[in-house]
Amino acid sequence: MESTIVFYLLSALSVISALFVVFSRSPIYSVLSLIVCFFTIAGHYIMLNAQFLAIIHIIVYAGAIMVLMLFTVMLLNLNKELGTHKFNLTKLMAVITGGLMFLVIIASVKSSSLANYQAPAYLNIGNAEDIGMKLFTDYLLPFEISSVLFVSAMISAVLLAKKEVK
Amino acid sequence: MNTLIYTSVLGFGLMVLEVLKLRKWISPAIILGLSLIFGINIHDWNQPGSYMGNMLEISNFTVAFNALAIFITLLIAMLASEYYSDEEHHISDYMAIMTFVLCGAQMMLGYANLVLFFIGIETLSISLYALSGSKRFDAKSNEAGFKYFLMGSFASGFLLFGIALMYGATQSFDLNKLAEYAMGTSVSPLFLTGLLLVLFALFFKVSAAPFHFWAPDVYEGAPSIITAFMSTLVKVVGFAAFYKFLHVFGYLIPVKFDWLITLVAILSLVTGNLSALAQENFKRLMAYSGISHAGYLLIGLVGAAAFPSSAILYYGLGYSLSTIGAFAIAMAVFKSTGSESISAFNGLGKKNPVLAACLTATMLGLAGIPPFAGFFGKFYIFSEAIQNGHFYLVLVGILSSMIGIYYYMKVVIAMYAKPANETKIEISLTNQLVMWLCLVLVLLIGIMPSLVTGLF
Repeated sequence: MESTIVFYLLSALSVISALFVVFSRSPIYSVLSLIVCFFTIAGHYIMLNAQFLAIIHIIVYAGAIMVLMLFTVMLLNLNKELGTHKFNLTKLMAVITGGLMFLVIIASVKSSSLANYQAPAYLNIGNAEDIGMKLFTDYLLPFEISSVLFVSAMISAVLLAKKEVK
Repeated sequence: MNTLIYTSVLGFGLMVLEVLKLRKWISPAIILGLSLIFGINIHDWNQPGSYMGNMLEISNFTVAFNALAIFITLLIAMLASEYYSDEEHHISDYMAIMTFVLCGAQMMLGYANLVLFFIGIETLSISLYALSGSKRFDAKSNEAGFKYFLMGSFASGFLLFGIALMYGATQSFDLNKLAEYAMGTSVSPLFLTGLLLVLFALFFKVSAAPFHFWAPDVYEGAPSIITAFMSTLVKVVGFAAFYKFLHVFGYLIPVKFDWLITLVAILSLVTGNLSALAQENFKRLMAYSGISHAGYLLIGLVGAAAFPSSAILYYGLGYSLSTIGAFAIAMAVFKSTGSESISAFNGLGKKNPVLAACLTATMLGLAGIPPFAGFFGKFYIFSEAIQNGHFYLVLVGILSSMIGIYYYMKVVIAMYAKPANETKIEISLTNQLVMWLCLVLVLLIGIMPSLVTGLF
């Protein structure tokens, strides 16, 4: 019963803060409400027994990514009120396509029988220890090979940002 | 498996060479390394297996497409050693990132688990975002890199969301388990939505219409060598991964999504070919031609008789060789004239008849005129599609390949019928070597298609 109340509270908060991200005129407020949104989603993860994921989510998104975004907003001096939201054709198209996408997902969630889904019997599934076990056994190859992805992203960043030397 | 490991090692090794101040050995090292990896890969032929808890699967399909991807990278690396010769302090970065793109490609070709597929597609894409924006002081290149990055990130988002929905329905990332689920009696709508989103992301990666809007701008702005790399490797690997994906859900997709793929194929053929008619820039022309080739390959996917069908491999090989051959010549022309429009080729027939003849041959190959590989590629794809009852699709394909002849001929006409300008075209030995290699191979497999079609 309590968990249902917490669930609805968290859901309402995350939807409201997400809407605020989109509709807020000032980029700084957008970014700040995005932090609220991330925290509420982390709350959902905790309720789903995924503590490790929740902590990682807070550290990475609400910590690192958020700082990056704030820096971008400040460095590019975007911290001013944008004019009124103009309504143009592009936005209309975006609303229509986004709305259709939303409709498809709602419909597919509604028509799939979620009642049959059962929570996993093993409740500690979201522990750091168990995730570590999974990563180093079943998912060893993706875990190791993602180092190639990160190295490639890193040298790409250096390539694009390095000072030109002759 | 070994191929993937050695390719990653090669990428790291190239950076080590830079650290050790052995810069002039980087180009020989990548060429030698890729040739060795080609051999290691061929060694896996007829030795199917699955590795690391069914993450990576090696079959003859994987080995054949891996060989093609490695060969493309080898040709591009040879061209790159020439193209970047005046940018020596960056050459290790470029070469290493290209090797990592190949790593991503190999993951996309051998995946047996959607997690590996996602990491592969990201390794390939993120490296390419940086490469296409790598001319830092050129506004067009910046635009290309940024546009590709933004659009590609959206596509990756769709891919990830689709994979998550499929996981939600099946509780598994493993392709075998997913295929089992898809063959079962009750398939959840969540699963179908997930499948649809993954299809969208794949359409984006292979630049099929209406997911193609990034392609012309990115191809135009990116450095020519990267354009050649993207238009060959990404397209071929994207289609191979797509093909494997469709094959896994072979029972489900024909019923639910055949119409979608057919529609996208027709749209790609029509928009690609019609938009190419109006292009004045050679790289934009190649971008639109790439979109139309995506359409032909989609016909191949819809109409493929069995898995693996050699028609797609053959088409991919013919298309890649012709494109790389054309770019080997075009890059020399661009460098000498400083222009990338079709008028840069004016009068090449008088100034440099050999080059003009070779470029004509590659253009005819892309247009699909015998005896080049392009003709038989289309022939095999169309005949398989007709056998499987896709008559109207083939009709659209044939009509649009007729339009195709017109805009490929535009380049040829510029070379032979337009008055020459004064600039002398100089082509380096490396570019000539790649050009001849591509031409000989295109002719060889055009005359003897059974060399490739006999593989499987």
